[in-house]
Amino acid sequence: MSNPNTVEKIVSKPYKYGFVTDIETEKINKGINRDTIKLISAKKNEPEFLLKFRLRAYDEWLKMKEPNWAKLGYPPINYQDIIYYAAPKKDKKKESLEEVDPKLLETFEKLGIPISEQKRLTNVAVDAVFDSVSIATTYKEKLAEHGVIFCSISEAVNEYPEIIKKYLGTVVPINDNFFAALNSAVFSDGSFVYIPKGVECPMELSSYFRINSGDTGQFERTLIIAEEKSSVSYLEGCTAPMFDTNTLHAAVVELIALDHSSIKYSTVQNWYSGNEQGVGGIYNFVTKRGQCRGKKSKISWSQVETGSAITWKYPSCILQGEESVGEFYSVALTNNFQKADTGTKMIHIGAKTRSTIVSKGISAGQSSNSYRGLVHMGPQAVGARNYSQCDSMLIGDQAAANTYPYIHSQQPQANIEHEASTCRISEDQLFYLQSRGIDFEEAISMMVSGFCQDVFNQLPMEFASEADKLLALKLEGSVG
Amino acid sequence: MSFKDCVPQWLNSIKETNNLYVEKIRQKGRSNLNLLDHPNTKNENWRLSNIKRLENFINLPFPDQAKFDYQNKYPIFKNIPKNILQIKIDSLDNPLESLVLPEGVRALNNEEIECYLGHTIDRCNSNNLWPVAINEASTNQVIGLEVKGNNLPTIELVLAANANTFHSTRVLIKVREKTTLNLNEVIIGSSKSSQSNLMEIIVGEEANVHHGIIALGGGNAHLLTNLAVEQKEQSNYSLIALQKGWLFSRFEPHIIQLRGNAKTNLKGLQISTGDDELSTHSYVRFDGPNGELDQLNKAAANDNSHSIFNGAIQVPKVAQKTQAAQLSRNLILSKRAKIDTKPELEIIADDVRCTHGATISQLQEEELFYLRSRGINSKQAYSLLLEGYYKEIISMLPLYSERWSFLNNLL
Amino acid sequence: MLSQDSNLMLEINDLHASIEDKEILTGVNLEVRSGEIHAVMGRNGSGKSTLSKVIAGHPAYVVTSGTVKFNGENLLEMEPEERARIGIFLGFQYPVEIPGVSNLEFLRVATNSRRKELGKEELDTFEFEELVKERLSVVQMNPAFLDRSVNEGFSGGEKKRNEILQMALLEPSISILDETDSGLDIDALRIVASGVNQLSTRTTATILITHYQRLLNEITPDFVHVMAEGAIVKTGGQELAIELENRGYEWIEENIKKINL
Repeated sequence: MSNPNTVEKIVSKPYKYGFVTDIETEKINKGINRDTIKLISAKKNEPEFLLKFRLRAYDEWLKMKEPNWAKLGYPPINYQDIIYYAAPKKDKKKESLEEVDPKLLETFEKLGIPISEQKRLTNVAVDAVFDSVSIATTYKEKLAEHGVIFCSISEAVNEYPEIIKKYLGTVVPINDNFFAALNSAVFSDGSFVYIPKGVECPMELSSYFRINSGDTGQFERTLIIAEEKSSVSYLEGCTAPMFDTNTLHAAVVELIALDHSSIKYSTVQNWYSGNEQGVGGIYNFVTKRGQCRGKKSKISWSQVETGSAITWKYPSCILQGEESVGEFYSVALTNNFQKADTGTKMIHIGAKTRSTIVSKGISAGQSSNSYRGLVHMGPQAVGARNYSQCDSMLIGDQAAANTYPYIHSQQPQANIEHEASTCRISEDQLFYLQSRGIDFEEAISMMVSGFCQDVFNQLPMEFASEADKLLALKLEGSVG
Repeated sequence: MSFKDCVPQWLNSIKETNNLYVEKIRQKGRSNLNLLDHPNTKNENWRLSNIKRLENFINLPFPDQAKFDYQNKYPIFKNIPKNILQIKIDSLDNPLESLVLPEGVRALNNEEIECYLGHTIDRCNSNNLWPVAINEASTNQVIGLEVKGNNLPTIELVLAANANTFHSTRVLIKVREKTTLNLNEVIIGSSKSSQSNLMEIIVGEEANVHHGIIALGGGNAHLLTNLAVEQKEQSNYSLIALQKGWLFSRFEPHIIQLRGNAKTNLKGLQISTGDDELSTHSYVRFDGPNGELDQLNKAAANDNSHSIFNGAIQVPKVAQKTQAAQLSRNLILSKRAKIDTKPELEIIADDVRCTHGATISQLQEEELFYLRSRGINSKQAYSLLLEGYYKEIISMLPLYSERWSFLNNLL
Repeated sequence: MLSQDSNLMLEINDLHASIEDKEILTGVNLEVRSGEIHAVMGRNGSGKSTLSKVIAGHPAYVVTSGTVKFNGENLLEMEPEERARIGIFLGFQYPVEIPGVSNLEFLRVATNSRRKELGKEELDTFEFEELVKERLSVVQMNPAFLDRSVNEGFSGGEKKRNEILQMALLEPSISILDETDSGLDIDALRIVASGVNQLSTRTTATILITHYQRLLNEITPDFVHVMAEGAIVKTGGQELAIELENRGYEWIEENIKKINL
């Protein structure tokens, strides 16, 4: 690169979602114990079985040690210094949008997620989650016509307890890992999706998560079930205000795909990542896992990860059903002092299962960006195939790009192919673009976007351009 | 019994010597063993290993005076061509005392050994390895050589173990600047033998070292091979390593390019059968710019065996313009065999070209079909392809054509 | 080259074949007699390559119905190597690279397996080297290629020459050359074509699978077949190839549509 400083300069751009909504919030006391959990459960008016689930998870959590294998190196978290439940006052679930505090509607509008009747997106149903509660879910009635259930998980717990009982915690067991256990004990809200047999969900479903309070942890829980021969595409977005303290976000997402069904789960994660000195930002410790239970079922994860101080996230697929398909498409951009350790696990259990992994990591500033993934071929995975491609791009000589693929096979009739490369933006390519009249900054942004194209192609149309813009924004800057 | 109980007993069973520097090395090994976690599957470095098999390194007796029967084991030892300097290393006598060394090869004296020993291990981050501590705690002698010049014979080090005993060997080779060295290390196991071999090589400026390791076990043999290599500028270091026939074999080559500007070429082949567990855990670091690495590790797992590759590459900020390529190719040839492979790339320098790849599969159907469509039956096609797969690596051994081509039939 | 005493060698009857449950051949009929040269033309995806692989016995293809007979014997029951030994040769469109396997050794094992079938004596390394050197001239190939691994690092043209060299060594009864002309410049094409011409006799037959007419300028076919959607839809003489070159495949497809209407 002819001028590395310039490149470094242009990768930083102020976070535009850093504002705080001034709203009266009801919070419970800091700290966690059995009473806190009972209190959360009571506030949410939950049935007995869920309280038991939470308490069991809490007991497991107490026995567990916080993991450090990802070598993320963050100061110890004081779990007694976190507020586990915060909600805008008047937290009674609103029957109609008119009753929602206009300040909240305004907040989501500012974030680019209009939910009011007049402005909302025409073909996307949105569930908006503010701190610990779901504020509103749009297009519920229209979806209901098709038998699709899309609501907050708190609502689902009360209205569809049988489904929740049957599936909750079956893909990510309560003792799966430290953060999943914590989430299972204290999860506040999140989205629930149920697509009945034979139904192709008529519109994109989307959840939007907003952390507003600085001292509150966010523990959302998402559960998506696709019955036989159904399909759904779901997108989540995340932002948070700028605080100089670190906020913990420990979500759990469970997907279940039955025979011939398909779930596409896309994430655009832009939590606040801390300032240029690495102060503040979200700790994003997330467990996402999908289970292809049925024959020829398919789960596809796409993610664009640009935010958070630390990300620890491995959306995974358990490919159980014969000929089921798992996909993972990821772009992770880190800057300043961000640390991302992300990747996927493809667990091939059934015969003729297939998986594809495409991961693009871009590291700038003094950040560190790691791909960590597991491809596992079990003894029954006859004729299974995996293809993985993990590319890293480094911008500046302070950033780190690490790749840790774990590959295991116990099946001679399975094929695994993994390719990876590390590159930088080449002078020749830059020069070529510049010689065609494209300015330096745009040239970089074009190259990064080109580098990520394979992944963007997988995002739902409405969000592909948004993701592209988001990266451009992060790379946009002060060169003039 | 756990290592915690066994290891102190084992340490007590080691007879004291009156050699001061040997005792010094042992002291270091002992204290490292106290500091380090004993191997356990919760430790990432040992996660995939069958820990139980490591017990054979600490519960077998040290060898007595019985000599290894080289000639009957492998006829190749009957005829030693003139262009080979063969040094048989056991943990009893110093072979250098009874050898006339040719021009350009010199035994290092005790002061020199003390000066250089441990230096490379330290730089290569090998000090915190449990097998290195085991080796050091049980050191009996150090074979130290300095080589210089361009007309050297091929040095053939033979490290053989008798049945039911534990052997620990330590070798230090200092390759002077502008020297060309061909080195073949032949490691031979016996029924229920265990060996720990630790070697340090200092590769001087503009030196070329071509290093072959032929590790052939047999009958429940166990092996720990640790290698630490430091490369100076403009040097070339090529390593061709073959592991076959060990119930347990762990090979840990650590290589540092001290100031970059050097070439490293690593080729490995693991052929596992029966209940074997073979592994390679390599580590390469570039401490300067313009370094090159070309690494290819192959494995073929038969029967009930397990083959493991773990390849770490570190490219820190000082290592601009590094070019590193790593490929792990694996064949899984039986329904009960297991393969694990894990490249580990850590890159900070931005102006680098690093690639890595890994494949696990059977022999390629298209290749088999091609051969069969020319009239070659499937069994023959299968063995032709396997032979080709092996030969790609072993044909690179120093003196392959005149000395080691018999391996083709053995594999 | 047609003569009265030519006999029926290859007989394909209503052949259907599929790969991964997808039907590619939808009823191929073809007869080839000794001394004949057939050209099979068609667009990409028309099933030409599949036909050649099915004749050679590629395990990925499943024959769902129909028969393929060679000198009256049921070919479909034979392993690929048996087919090769009784004289069926497939020149691959994309010959695979096989690192580590010496080209010379491979050629020797293959040649001996065919010689054994023909009741000829097997050749040792030295005898075989003599034979290879003699046959190299057919394709004007550099002997240095013998010391390399099978097809490894060969250019497109070198790979194709290596295919024809194998044909020269195996002396097959029927050779199916799959797009042997693709990726060759005109000089290489002439060398390959002259090799094929030298190896064609009254007792052998050749099937050329090709896209373009230009190979047919070098090797004159007796019959030209056009494939579309997995079957032979039109058969003619050399003039059909020229017409195709001038009018394109649409012309054939139009014709089929008309017939179907």
